Amino acid sequence: MTTPNAPYFERTVPAQPWTILALAAGVIVLALALGWERYCRNLGYEPGLDDTPDLWVEARRSVQPDSIVAIGSSRILFNLDLDELEKGLGKRPVQLALVGSCVAPMLQHLAQDPTFHGTVLCDIVPALATVPPMAPPYHNTTKALDRLKNQSVAQQWGHHLSLPLEQTFACLQQEDLTLAALLKQVRIPNRPAAQVGPALPPYFSTIDRDRRTRMLDRVQTDQALQDRVKFGWLPLFTPPPKPHWIPDAAFGEYMHGMLEGRFKDFADAVAAIQKRGGKVVFVHFPSSGDLRPLEERLIPRPAVWDRLLKDTGAPGIAFEDHADLKDFTCPEWSHLSATDSVEFSKRLVPHLTAALKTP
Amino acid sequence: MLFNSLTFVVFFLAVFATYRLLPGWGAKKSLLLAAGFLFYGAWNPPFVLLLALSIAVDWWVAGRLDQAEEPGRRKAWLVVSLIVNLGLLGYFKYGDFLLDTTRSLLAAAGIAYQPPHLGILLPIGISFYTFESLSYTIDVYRREIKATKSLRDYAMFVSFFPHLVAGPIVRARDFLHQLEAPAAPSAQRTAWGLFLMTLGLFQKVVLADTLLAPAADAVFGHAFPLHAVDAWAGVLAFAFQILFDFGGYSLCAIGCALTFGFHINDNFRFPYAAKGFSDFWRRWHISLSTWLRDYLYIPLGGNRGPAWRTGINLMVVMVLGGLWHGAAWTFAVWGALHGLLLLAERGVKRLIGDAAWASTAPAAFVGWLVTFVGILVTWVFFRATDFGGAMKNLASMAGVFGAQGDQVLATRDLVQVGGVALVVLLIHRLLRDTSLEAAVARWPSWLLGIAWAVMGVLILLTQGAGSSFIYFQF
Repeated sequence: MTTPNAPYFERTVPAQPWTILALAAGVIVLALALGWERYCRNLGYEPGLDDTPDLWVEARRSVQPDSIVAIGSSRILFNLDLDELEKGLGKRPVQLALVGSCVAPMLQHLAQDPTFHGTVLCDIVPALATVPPMAPPYHNTTKALDRLKNQSVAQQWGHHLSLPLEQTFACLQQEDLTLAALLKQVRIPNRPAAQVGPALPPYFSTIDRDRRTRMLDRVQTDQALQDRVKFGWLPLFTPPPKPHWIPDAAFGEYMHGMLEGRFKDFADAVAAIQKRGGKVVFVHFPSSGDLRPLEERLIPRPAVWDRLLKDTGAPGIAFEDHADLKDFTCPEWSHLSATDSVEFSKRLVPHLTAALKTP
Repeated sequence: MLFNSLTFVVFFLAVFATYRLLPGWGAKKSLLLAAGFLFYGAWNPPFVLLLALSIAVDWWVAGRLDQAEEPGRRKAWLVVSLIVNLGLLGYFKYGDFLLDTTRSLLAAAGIAYQPPHLGILLPIGISFYTFESLSYTIDVYRREIKATKSLRDYAMFVSFFPHLVAGPIVRARDFLHQLEAPAAPSAQRTAWGLFLMTLGLFQKVVLADTLLAPAADAVFGHAFPLHAVDAWAGVLAFAFQILFDFGGYSLCAIGCALTFGFHINDNFRFPYAAKGFSDFWRRWHISLSTWLRDYLYIPLGGNRGPAWRTGINLMVVMVLGGLWHGAAWTFAVWGALHGLLLLAERGVKRLIGDAAWASTAPAAFVGWLVTFVGILVTWVFFRATDFGGAMKNLASMAGVFGAQGDQVLATRDLVQVGGVALVVLLIHRLLRDTSLEAAVARWPSWLLGIAWAVMGVLILLTQGAGSSFIYFQF
């Protein structure tokens, strides 16, 4: 608003005790924020890092030409203990896996890095590795790669500034406690034909600066939390229905072409890494409960796992093929507990060592 | 650097504290100049050189323009400024677009031509600071202002960080005089500035990013035909998302400038209360619409000539205004549609004349409704990434696909969008003939304090998870 008749415009300050209001509002915000922090801690939230795109970029930038790199989805994030692998393999792996992501574009990204000739531990979750490019898991990977390409200096500064805050305040927890996540907890029935994606699992893990992710111990004892997580996997792992606008034949043709292209992408990426002297090992981590038969029914082993090993010629370690790996139980059906992940990694090391010796 | 980021909070506090502590006016201006370049460089450091080039050329050209007396020489200097500014803007913003368009035209003529994709990175805010810089040299050319002798003052005006990357488009004639002497420190003004920043951030991160963007993204990102309810909810969500995204940025910029004692004019004035499309453009992105009016529409002849000539002038301005937003033909169509709606409005006004019924409440309501629905329809072209997507959305809105259309929104999304839309339309209606300042002055202080605190808490709850401002891409 301009002041009439002024030679130049000047904004009007409304007649209010602004200084007092600023102080009062500041005090109220501070009091409410502290109260919220206390409430969140009472609910079981702890201070800790968020798995942000910038934390991933930081890890990616730490990759050396001869690094051991872990890629894939949440299973390798939860199940791989970096300390055990460092002890066993002589190098600390860099954790580049992304929750709920398709691994294919990440493997291609490493294959396209002309400097990289290290080792890739590639987690294969068939339902995620074979999603079409328009599906959210694929987008989760490309989003991280875009961040790597486009991260601004300001975003880097923001990342470093936020780390100490995240390690201090439990309420800065982005899975459950953002306004958007809180609103999603308000259950309102959807229209019968609404195509709304399933809910993502609640907070049940921590992540450290190396992106080592650990399941919270209370997942094993808190049945309600365990149920919330595990029953969330079934709709998440069930593919959405075919779009009714696309004829069956056309859809089948598209999916067939997409899958063939995906296997070729895998083979090309592995060949490119191997050509530079690098190695790729595929790993299939355990799942349990109702999730495992669902996964096996939706994508039988020969369709993806066996085909992948055949097409790429790379070694693979499937948990069910090894007596010392197959008896682990995932408390919430998809990931190992923090304690079990250490033991699993310890037992995985000899298999990895053997696989890496294959020419 | 985003206003809705932790980096900006630290940056702002550091600059503000240093500004207050520095003793001299010259030192304060130098600080703000350095802060502007740091703010800009924090996005992509090399492009600071481009900003510096634009500043240096226009300051130097304006000095020559001021001294020159001969009309031909003055015109030549103005042409230099136009070539440099529009050349940079054209290359960085429209280079790939022009090549793609050429390829499409040649292909339509049966000529196969594959131009190289230049892969040009768009320097953030180039459309804004180019227009600010151009307005300066044009005003000096017109002898409406004197060229400033101080390169520092001119550079500080262009690079003043609150308005640098996403407006409002501030003009030298409104700003440079503020650099002549420092404004007396005022705790009241600073606190009001902080209130505006809080309100702007609330609009951006709570309303636009949290409550509205998910629905708009789901609808406009969906590849298949939609149910009419979802299509309308999506465009409604985008209409308010872009208002709060850009309006919120403008409020932050105005408030931030005010904390340093600088005055920037309003950029939005309750636009969804507009009764008519010309009324809408007096309320939406005011700094751009007035810029286009003063530096394009009036020089083209404005409405001084015959009706057909005015129509052409209007269409040229609106199409170019559309393209200013982005290098895509969907933006041009968005601008052209607004041009046609403005022309239609002129025709209807001429037809109605001074009829008494035209000023009755029902007529005013119909005027508002037609305007609002018309604007919603045009937003489809603004938001859609291509014409196929836009036509699919328009057909969905028209109910062409009936119950077969996909329902992509959760009930919660519909409630959020509908709730925000209703409340905001009511607020715009109540405040349409007043100002934010006048409305706030009438509020009880205790209520204002609570509202401020609630906005602050909700902003904290978003945890900085918001996205970039939409207008950054322009």
